[in-house]
This record gives sequence, C-alpha cells and structure tokens, in this order.
Amino acid sequence: MKTLLERREAARDGRNVDPGLGTLAGEGAEQRVRRLDAGHSERRVMAPPEPELEGRPSYYGMPLLKEPVWKWFIPAYFYVGGVSGASAVLGAASDLLGPRGTRALSRRCRLTAAAGAGASAALLIADLGRPARFLNMLRVFRPTSPMNVGTWILSGFGAATAAAAGAALLPVGPGARRAGDAAAAVAGLCGLGLTGYTGVLIANTAVPLWQGTRRALPVLFSCSGAAAATALLELFPPGDRSEPVVRRFGVLANVSELVMTGVLEAEAGVVPRVARPLRTGISGALWRAGQALSLASLALTLGSRGRRSLRRAAGLCGTAGSLALRFAIYQAGRRSALDPHASFEQQRRGRGAADVVRAQPGLDRALGEKGAEPPATPTLHDPGLAHP
Amino acid sequence: MGFFTDSTLCIGCKACEVACKQWNQLPDDGFRLTGMSYDNTGHLGASTWRHVAFVERESPLPGQGSPRDGVEAGARAFEPLRPLGQAGTTSPLADDVSPSHIETPVALGPTAQAMGKFSWLMLSDVCKHCERAGCLEACPTGAIIRTEFGSVYVQPDVCNGCGYCVSACPFGVVDRRADDGRAWKCTLCYDRLEGGMVPACAKACPTASIQFGPIDELRERAAHRVEQLRARGVPQARLYGESAASQPGTAGLRAFFLLCDEPEVYNLPPDPVVPTKKIADSWWAMAAGIAGLGLAAVGVVLSARRAA
Repeated sequence: MKTLLERREAARDGRNVDPGLGTLAGEGAEQRVRRLDAGHSERRVMAPPEPELEGRPSYYGMPLLKEPVWKWFIPAYFYVGGVSGASAVLGAASDLLGPRGTRALSRRCRLTAAAGAGASAALLIADLGRPARFLNMLRVFRPTSPMNVGTWILSGFGAATAAAAGAALLPVGPGARRAGDAAAAVAGLCGLGLTGYTGVLIANTAVPLWQGTRRALPVLFSCSGAAAATALLELFPPGDRSEPVVRRFGVLANVSELVMTGVLEAEAGVVPRVARPLRTGISGALWRAGQALSLASLALTLGSRGRRSLRRAAGLCGTAGSLALRFAIYQAGRRSALDPHASFEQQRRGRGAADVVRAQPGLDRALGEKGAEPPATPTLHDPGLAHP
Repeated sequence: MGFFTDSTLCIGCKACEVACKQWNQLPDDGFRLTGMSYDNTGHLGASTWRHVAFVERESPLPGQGSPRDGVEAGARAFEPLRPLGQAGTTSPLADDVSPSHIETPVALGPTAQAMGKFSWLMLSDVCKHCERAGCLEACPTGAIIRTEFGSVYVQPDVCNGCGYCVSACPFGVVDRRADDGRAWKCTLCYDRLEGGMVPACAKACPTASIQFGPIDELRERAAHRVEQLRARGVPQARLYGESAASQPGTAGLRAFFLLCDEPEVYNLPPDPVVPTKKIADSWWAMAAGIAGLGLAAVGVVLSARRAA
C-alpha cells in the first residue's frame, strides 16, 4: 500500500522529475515536449491594438516579463498568514497587559494563530508540490530573499504558536503555563513580521505594480491582516469582557486598511500605466469590492452598538473585503507583468534603476555589493545619450 | 567570461537556438506559428535558452537593403569580426556578401520601392547573467549560484520550484518548467566551459554575432565595433548593459548586446533594476507598519483595562 505522498509522486503531476537526471543526462534532459494547449505558453499572443500606445515601441506587444507562477494558494496564504499573525499580536498584547476577564480572547487568539500557522504551511507546501521542498527553504539563511526570511519567520511563528496553543489547551502546571505565555509573546513578535513580510516579498519582484507600490504594500498587508483577524473574532466572538478590545482594534485596523488602499493607489498612480490593473478589469473590480466591503465592515462595527447580528455582518464584510484586496493585488500584479508598456513606462519615467541610484548612492555598499560605484550622473534614460 | 551579442551581424538563422537545444537536450516548443513575424519562438523560457528576435521596421538601416533598391547589399558596413577563441566565420560568403558586380542600380518597381523603407533587426537573446542578479538574490534555497566563470547558474538538484526567481528577473528570462515545476534558464553552457569549450550557441553562430570570451576583452571589442559602425553611418548603434555605469540597476551584464534601436524594440527593458536594490524601502515601510500594529494592539488592550 502506497502512502498518499508516494501516490502523488507516482501520479507524475509534473513536480517530481528525478533531480539526478539533470546531472546524469544533460541539463534539460527528460523534459517532456511542451503541451501546446496547456499552461502559460498560451500567453504568447499579440496584445490587441491600443490607440494610446501609438508610436511607443515594443516587440509586437509581447510580454516583457514572465507572469508570476503562483496560483491561488499564495494570495490565500497572504490572507491566512495575515490573520494568524495579527491574532498572535493581539493575543500577546492581551496576555501581557490585558484586563482581567479577557482569558477567552487570548485563548481564541492563540488557537487562531496556531491553526493559521498550520494552514499557512499547508498552503505553501501545496504551492511547492511536496513537504520536502518547504524544508529545503531552510537550508540557507539569506537576508536578500524575503521569501527565505519569511520561511524562517513562519517556522519560528509555527513553533511558538504551537507551544502557546498547547499551553492553553492542555491542563498544565504553572511552570508550563508561564512557558506558554513566553511562547505567546514570541509568537506575537513573529506574528508582526508575518503580517508584513508578504508585502515585502511581492514588492521584491520585477512586476511593475508590486515594485511600484513597494512602500505601501507591506503596511497595507499588516493593516489588512489586523482587520481580517478582528473580522474573524467578530464572526465568532469570544464573549467575555474583551468586546471593547476587539471592537477598538477592529475600528483602528479597518480605518488604517482603508487609508492604506488610498496610499497604495496614489503610489501606483505615479505611473498611470502601472496603476491601470487597479482601475480596470477583474482585478479593478476586486479592488473596489475590497474597499467597499472594508468600508461596510467599518460602518457596521461603528453602528452595531453591541447587536450580535450586525457584528456578524461586519465580520463577514471584513473577511470578504480582506480576501478581495489580496486577490486584487495578486491579480493586478499578474496583469501588470504581462503588459510590457507598464515596465517600459515605469523605467522611462525614472522609476527603474534611476531613482535608487539617485536617491541612495550608499545603499548598495550597505547591502554588501562590492565595487560598481554608481555613476555621478545617471544617464540611463536614453541609452543613446549614455554613449555619445 | 561572457557573451557579446552583436545584433548587426545576426542573420536570424537560429543556429544558436538549435545548437543550444541540441547540446542541453531541451525539447522543442511545438511547431506553432505566432503569426507576427518570422519569430516563432516568441520568448526565452524553460526549454528555450536562446531566442532570436525578428524586428521588422519601416525605417532604413544603412548597410541593409537589396540590389533592387539600388543599395548595395551589405555595403561592407558589417565587416566580420573574428570571434575570440574560435575559427573565423564558417561561411565563405561572409567576407564578400555584397554583390558588387551590380554596378548600376536596377530601376525600382512598386514592391522594391516599398521595400526601400524597410529594415530588419535581429537579436539573439539570452540570459543576461547580470553582475547583480535578481534571481540569485531572490532565490530562497541557495539553488542559484555564481560560478567560477562569473555566470549565474540554477542548480537543478537544489531548486525548489517556488517560482520566486521567475518574478525577480527584470528581463523575464527565468521560467518554470511545465513538467516538474523547477526553474530553468541558460547555464552559459557550464558543462562545456568546465571542459574548456565555448558555449554551444557561440560555437554554432555562423556570422560571429555571438561572441564568447573574457568580459573585458569583449567590452573593448564592443566599443571598437560601435565606433566602427558609427563611422560607417550607423549612428543608432549602441551597447546595452555592457558596464555598471551604463546599467547600474544590474551592475552590468555578462551577456551584453549591440543594438541599433531603442531596447524596447527588442523587448529589452530600458532601465532594468534588480528588485533587491530597492527593497530596503519596503523593509523600512514594513518596520513602520508593524510598529504601528504592535502599538495599536497594546494601546487597545491598555485602554480597555483602564475602562474595566
């Protein structure tokens, strides 16, 4: 009888070619002929003509960048990770400083955080194909890779939340309970990182929209994670004296989330072509829906006056809004990657290398780059000018 | 070591594509016509590590034309260059492509007149092996390394298939293989270099458009070539990414190009930047954001305690 894992591997789902083959039989050996009607090879089609692009050069409108390969697991992970990270933060705060009678809140937060950490790991493994690949991420520590840093954060977070949740669930002695409290505090710290690093992760790509909103994204993800976590708490209220805590945290998170969506739009809108996927198409609709739902959640929370049904509705709106925002950002990023003019326009407007070279000549040295002093006067905009 | 790809010498024969596929045992991409030009490959990918771009333009390029236009084909603008470490061009025609026996221009018919305003740009594109590589810095497993030859290499036995390098490449080079989910790209024929050979594409190139050698020598050669072309009436000739000064976003490319038009025309980004170069902004923003989140949580709990 084969295990589930073995059956999955034997199914040749396209993720388990023998890694030895590359070294034994040529670099790309055993690669199957690309199926013409499958996958993203279909993307090589000419873009429909657009009047606004008249006179702007491109290579038959073909995409410059590769579309991000991530499937729905990744935006779902952004949501789950945000919820569990922010839950751990709120839980740690109420553990350390909370008023009496919020035991249920901190317990609920610990359980949400632990369950979310497990679900996050499951989503990442689903994206990679098999568990060993998750462990493979931990073979190095690489500060230049937010994905690597994030895997370390998630691992630490998972361990800490598991310990904290264990101490909350099991009948343990005072010593173990104190250890559980300490673990909850550690989980809170890791949770802070978990809510924000996903924004850094996608900002660290060549995708024009994500790179162009690199300052707003991590903050929006943190705020949105907090809003999503309180939305979940409103849906399943802990029911003790923690109500004002949840309510106030929710209002703060919701307001900051809405503000950050505006900030993100403004940051993207500096180059109109880059911001286009936030205004048009499915991604634009998702984005507006996310904002509307978030606003509805805020209004319902403020107007609920303790009415259970309204708070539930607020929780529902908040959850849906947070999910919609993440999927909108994901989808809009994919679309901006497929639009070569988004990259071209961004770079021609001095938002390629030029702005970092101009703004932070010392940055590269700080990051450890050797040699390669930036030029005194960056003349990249017209390569013809660079070589008079 | 690196590549200097001189697009003015490229004749679009695709020998580099074929040689690359053959040496590296890459499968074909299916026989499909893109319908936009002679370019049926489209872009670099997991099974395409060299790609010849065909740009059809409605503007003339000195040295290109046909005897029917009254332009002497070749016009000796593109004198062949002996590639480094290789024999001269394999074609006996290369030294004497111009049919100089046609003394008088032939009268132009309507087709020829239309063709008079036409020129081809061809470019054999490849992984740029950036001095500061976005894929290498983004790779969370350390699968992508810089080899002793200075090239950027994806170790297939370590690659996780997370796809981060795919999005981190400002040139859209790295791609995930459809059948096993790992990232693949040009290796600069690491295995051939280890054996003291030149990369398969450079070896197969019949016009020395792809030149392989020590990067400094290639830069000198390229600068000389640009001067030569400009002197012969091709003022558009320019280098792309040959040094850190001209392309600070990548600190220079190990595979750089000589172009005769804007980079966009060849589907190259005009001012590419390694994403990690900008990421400090993001980390700072995140630090501010999570500090706010932590303070909000603490503040809310404290305010509830005061109320209680």
